[in-house]
Amino acid sequence: MKLLSIQNISKQYTANDAPAVNGVSFECERGEIVALIGGSGSGKTTLLRIIAGLETPDTGEVVLDEKPLNSPSVFVPPEKRDCGLVFQDYALFPNKTVQQNITFGKGAADDPKQVKRLIELAGIGGLEQRFPHEISGGQQQRVALVRALATRPTLLLLDEPLSHLDPELRDSVRTELLKLFRETDTTVLFVSHDIEDAMAMADRMVVMREGAAEQIGTPGEVYDRPVSQHVARLFGKTNFIPAGLLPNAPHSIPSENGTGRVIPVRPHQWRVSDRSPAFSGTVQSVTNRGSHREVTLATEHLALTIHLTEQIVINTGDALTVSCALPD
Amino acid sequence: MAAYLINIAQHRLRHLKQEIRFKLNAWTISALILGLILFLPMAEVLWHLTSPAENWEHLRDTVLGRYLKGSVILVLGTAVLSVLLGVSTAWLVACCEFPGRKFFEWALILPLAIPTYIAAYAYFDLLDQLTPLLIWVRLNISPEAMTLLSDTMVYPVTIVVLAAVLYPYVYLVARAAFARQSSQCIEAARTLGHGPQSTFWRVALPLARPAIVGGVALVIMETLNDYGAVEHFNVPTFTTGIFRTWLSMGDLQGALRLAACLMALILFLLVLEKWLRFGARFHKSSQADRPFQRYALGQAKAGLAILCCLLPLVIGFVLPLSRLAYWASFNAGKVLDASFLKLTLNSVGVATAAGLATVVLALFLAYTARYFGSRTVGATNRLAILGYAVPGAVIAMGILLIAGQVTRTTGWVLTGSLAALVLAYVIRFLAVAWQPIDSGMERNCAQLNNAARSLGANAARSLFQINVPLLRNALVPAGLFVFVDTMKELPLTLILSPFDFETLSTRTFDLAKQAQIPESSVPALCIILVSLLPVIWLNRQMRTPEK
Repeated sequence: MKLLSIQNISKQYTANDAPAVNGVSFECERGEIVALIGGSGSGKTTLLRIIAGLETPDTGEVVLDEKPLNSPSVFVPPEKRDCGLVFQDYALFPNKTVQQNITFGKGAADDPKQVKRLIELAGIGGLEQRFPHEISGGQQQRVALVRALATRPTLLLLDEPLSHLDPELRDSVRTELLKLFRETDTTVLFVSHDIEDAMAMADRMVVMREGAAEQIGTPGEVYDRPVSQHVARLFGKTNFIPAGLLPNAPHSIPSENGTGRVIPVRPHQWRVSDRSPAFSGTVQSVTNRGSHREVTLATEHLALTIHLTEQIVINTGDALTVSCALPD
Repeated sequence: MAAYLINIAQHRLRHLKQEIRFKLNAWTISALILGLILFLPMAEVLWHLTSPAENWEHLRDTVLGRYLKGSVILVLGTAVLSVLLGVSTAWLVACCEFPGRKFFEWALILPLAIPTYIAAYAYFDLLDQLTPLLIWVRLNISPEAMTLLSDTMVYPVTIVVLAAVLYPYVYLVARAAFARQSSQCIEAARTLGHGPQSTFWRVALPLARPAIVGGVALVIMETLNDYGAVEHFNVPTFTTGIFRTWLSMGDLQGALRLAACLMALILFLLVLEKWLRFGARFHKSSQADRPFQRYALGQAKAGLAILCCLLPLVIGFVLPLSRLAYWASFNAGKVLDASFLKLTLNSVGVATAAGLATVVLALFLAYTARYFGSRTVGATNRLAILGYAVPGAVIAMGILLIAGQVTRTTGWVLTGSLAALVLAYVIRFLAVAWQPIDSGMERNCAQLNNAARSLGANAARSLFQINVPLLRNALVPAGLFVFVDTMKELPLTLILSPFDFETLSTRTFDLAKQAQIPESSVPALCIILVSLLPVIWLNRQMRTPEK
């Protein structure tokens, strides 16, 4: 039995507008870390709020640990759900100290040892008597996390857990979070618009688009075998080569403009080589990106984006031949 | 189009079903019932728009036209004059630099501390000054011309008196709009080469329009609510009509029909306001006061600006206050006795009860709607706070109707009880407390309530541990505002006061009615002094820009 099961959830905020969530179904295993990923307006946050009980879905069922939370005849209010939720803006109570915030949750004060261990794991020891406005943003985030974990929830929900952090901090926080989740053996569902967060932290990801789950799979699957051009583009610029030009490609997807199938080729998957099938053209622009150079190549029918790591001299107007190295 | 409407109906229905199935609990049910109870007296009066009244045809043919005409002239005149005074002073204070600007910035609110009826008593002899003119007309033109002139003269006099103490409603919102919302656009207009005049007419005024409409709406509601001033100057309006029909002619049904007509007029005005304020949401800006380069005025213009700000301040505050203080200095000894202490205690007592009850109710209603995300409770809340727009006399009649029905069904006598009086105050002033509490909750507590819920806290725990401590800064002034409004209130108090129960406001009215205006200045002065408290608070708020 799965820990969390979402069946056919839909939610429409205003009549005559497109639904915010449209028939989403997926499941989470115990101990798994799942990312809900998508752009703004894709319905990922609404879905998270529905699972937390802060919104009521129009249709569909939510079952957590074999207990129905939402169904046509059941609605368990948020305070009775066994979910912890970490808000994007942390939502710490400004009138309470760090300690009071952490022990506010139901049952959180019952086990002082557990609270102390969480505080140490999160590295916020010594801040207990401060008020939220007296600590840094990163510390506030950890307090919010510990506050949610202190109730020992069956499922931990996080809304954009890393969006407020500097790029330099992100990497180390990701590692810390993962460590904390593994050590506390927590099942996690988190929302993010950042594909890197999802790739680094999630065991599985659910890609949301216009309220629907477009693809569900491991980060590797989603990266290597995107189901659509939209999913492929989540990972940055992607070339879409008509399937006829790359007959041996392992994976193809339907073209957005409805004319047959295309092969997604990422910019770094090109090599300067004339191994067939090769693409020749004229270099339109060269931009230095530091670790590589981004080259735009105009072939007879296509405009290719290529990330070049080879140390060769190349200038706008040069002729260039490349071929792609796709994984099997 | 049909499909569009059907979609909306289906959507609403689905929500209603969900609310009934999932969100009915002790909190929401109590809030729904309380909200409807608070709305009931107003609904009851409106219901009488069509109920039979034997003398109605007579009333309609003889006096209804006069009352309607009087009310409309008064409302239009007061609104226009308030806009002229409020907007011009707001523009000068917000966007121009001249000596005394900082003083005027807060001093211009002071007239708000003077209730309309007390302003009228302070200027009680204003009409008498015109007597020589009337005599001249009578002698040189005709007696008919004199009657016509004396009937017409009451309007401009009353309008000036009302606008002089009501314009701050427009001033406050217009000043905030000029200083906060449109300061960026004003700067942009200046860099694009527009002078002050064209910036005012083409940028600042259109941007401030929704705010100004809101301020004018308050002026109009206060004008329609007034009884003391129109009674004193003998202007035929709906409120004077209601009192006269009921108390002098003993025709309760007729008075009810008049009250119902007034209620209908107010509903129309509310719809009109909503329509005129269309676009308000586009101008909302969270920008705090930024340093803003004001127009520096030359000597002549600065002099004019000072005059322009001095005029409403003197007419609306300095003159009435000093006249009242002058009379009071002679009469204090005569008026200040044991009975005066008693009626002061009466005033403070009911005002305290009303303030506490209103804040507790407003907190409960706003919190329940927000915490449970209940649109139904939200809707009944909107009905319950309508009392701010309904004249005190109308609410009082509604309470009497309900009290009568309660007596018939249960035998409890509510009429003439303090409970009925306090309930009426709560209905009349619920919005005064609900508005700041609800917006404070939206700003500070919405996400925190969600957090508390997800941490397993129940509604009571969230309310007392999170909302109440965080809303302290809204709850105290909310209670203070209701307290002061209750102290000032006249028409509702006149109708619903228990037998032999006098307050500062009813004593002021009674003395004035017995032509003892100088004596009435003592309780009047007490009311003004108390009313200065929220004005001082408002002033402090203005100085600390909202974050």
